[in-house]
Amino acid sequence: MQLVLQTLVDGLVLGGLYSLAAIGFSLIFGVMNVVNLSHGVIVLIGAYLSYFFWQTLGVDPLLSIPPVMAVLFCLGYVYQRGLIQLAVDRSSLVASMLVTFGVALMLRNLLVLIFSPDFKSITPSWAFTFFVIGPVTVDLVRISALCASLVLLSLLALALHRTGIGRVIRATAQQDLAARLCGVDVRHVYGLTFGMSAAFAGASGAILGIVMPFSPPDEVHWTINAFVVVTLGGVGSPSGALLGGLLLGVISTATSQAIGPAFPNVMMFLILVVMLLVRPAGLLGNAFSGSR
Amino acid sequence: MLAQGIRSHRRWIVLALIALVALALAPVFLAPFHIRVAQLFLFSAALAVAWTILGGFAGYWSFGHTAFIGLGAFVAALVETSFQIKPAGLNFVVGMLAGTGACAVLAALLAYPILRLRGIYFAIAMLGVSQVLGELNNNVDAFKGSLGIVLPQIAPAHVEPQAFYYYLFLIAGVLTLGAAFAVKVTRLGHGLLAIREDEDTARMLGVPTERYKTAAFVLSAVLTGMLGIIYAHALGYITSGSVYRTDFSLNVMVYALLGGIGTLAGPILGAGIMVVLTQMVLGRLLDTHMFVTGALLVAIVMLAPRGILGYVAPLLRWRKDGASP
Repeated sequence: MQLVLQTLVDGLVLGGLYSLAAIGFSLIFGVMNVVNLSHGVIVLIGAYLSYFFWQTLGVDPLLSIPPVMAVLFCLGYVYQRGLIQLAVDRSSLVASMLVTFGVALMLRNLLVLIFSPDFKSITPSWAFTFFVIGPVTVDLVRISALCASLVLLSLLALALHRTGIGRVIRATAQQDLAARLCGVDVRHVYGLTFGMSAAFAGASGAILGIVMPFSPPDEVHWTINAFVVVTLGGVGSPSGALLGGLLLGVISTATSQAIGPAFPNVMMFLILVVMLLVRPAGLLGNAFSGSR
Repeated sequence: MLAQGIRSHRRWIVLALIALVALALAPVFLAPFHIRVAQLFLFSAALAVAWTILGGFAGYWSFGHTAFIGLGAFVAALVETSFQIKPAGLNFVVGMLAGTGACAVLAALLAYPILRLRGIYFAIAMLGVSQVLGELNNNVDAFKGSLGIVLPQIAPAHVEPQAFYYYLFLIAGVLTLGAAFAVKVTRLGHGLLAIREDEDTARMLGVPTERYKTAAFVLSAVLTGMLGIIYAHALGYITSGSVYRTDFSLNVMVYALLGGIGTLAGPILGAGIMVVLTQMVLGRLLDTHMFVTGALLVAIVMLAPRGILGYVAPLLRWRKDGASP
């Protein structure tokens, strides 16, 4: 019983991080149908920025989330307007995927050159505090990571559903032509969406830095995780990403507990393939365009 | 239809035959290192052509073709090492049949569920399939994926192995190109093109879309498996990591895209350029190798979205006779 509870709690905490890391990917996919293969590397850029702030200025990693988000918002906006939009215009959506893959290779190489290929981790002074609640042990780092993820996801959900710009983004996602007819500057909206996506990826990177060690080749892992989360939960909504992320977290901790530490990836991809076949719109079924 | 296809493509066929003669004579003149590069070129070009049968003609971009390289290589290796039939040549043939057979069965089984997915979803499902196979191969001890398998040497004692595998790749490449050409100019190829342009309309007009897609998928998988088996023998020792490689899956798309997607000359041209660039030019830039590859990829898509042939072919005015590259 205790083992089951502990596995569940660990899985949920990990899942909170997965959700936050995937929401940006989900937004871009939902709003502009672009599969951003450089998403994982953006998550890692967030982690390295936070690491940089912590190392040079001594900023607490949780406090470094706002500046990291601001920097990545600007980078994301420029990336979309300067490169991805051009690629979509000049050739096709699938080709834009190759562009993002090329950018991911370049950024990963840059990260290796700047920060070395070694594993880094961020350990603030409170990193080793932990609580025992009944039969379950939780450390402060993980609790704060989960809380930060939940707060940020709620903020995004509020922004999408209660503000003017959120409404414009949702309208563009539903039909860009109709949005354009209503006077929406679609390209600007795409840029903003990409900026928001990069900002949230960066925030998740800052949080991931305190939970686990990271190194540049991990980016592939984070991109694929984002894909699985989106397929599980549904495209384009914070609630879908939250559900998908929590499920993925629980599934991967439960698999490594029950079958073996080498199998979470196998299970993850099996679920991915099965989900694509059974319910390609995700559990919350919020796909903006069908898969078949 | 085949005869007509051969007639209308005669210039390309003459060109291909000249290239074949040049390639067949090449090992006599080349240094050992360059023979290795040429081997890699033949392997890459043939992979890209095999991928084109599904990805280029039907527009179903598989992101996980390395699944068939790995599956073919490991089935062949396991069969060859466990039965050890004499002579070595027969053993190789049995391994080849088992490996390609396994690829055919897997593709046929996957075809029903996965080929119903379209566009990006098909791409990702195939990526998932290749990852699952790779991880299973690595983690289940019976497959010896993490331990690795040493393959039996098939090159005859008096022949230089590098040259032997070069010719093996050349034969496989000719087979692949021949099969792809036969698909392209016959009814199947036209059906696949119709599927790429508009699958629903094609189906409505009576193209048996399911059957055509399955045929293209199985053929592509078998050819990829065959190349994987030869590659495994050329390596001599394989682990999951050396044959289930995501970069194989991605590189074939880069080759096809660089040369011109949907054509047969395109992937070969693209593979030639990329192999020469990465092996001979970038080999010296170990630190920034990945950066340059990425930048090149971005540049290709931005500057030549239809590939090099998309620019060159119209200039040559070869299309007057109605044949595309």
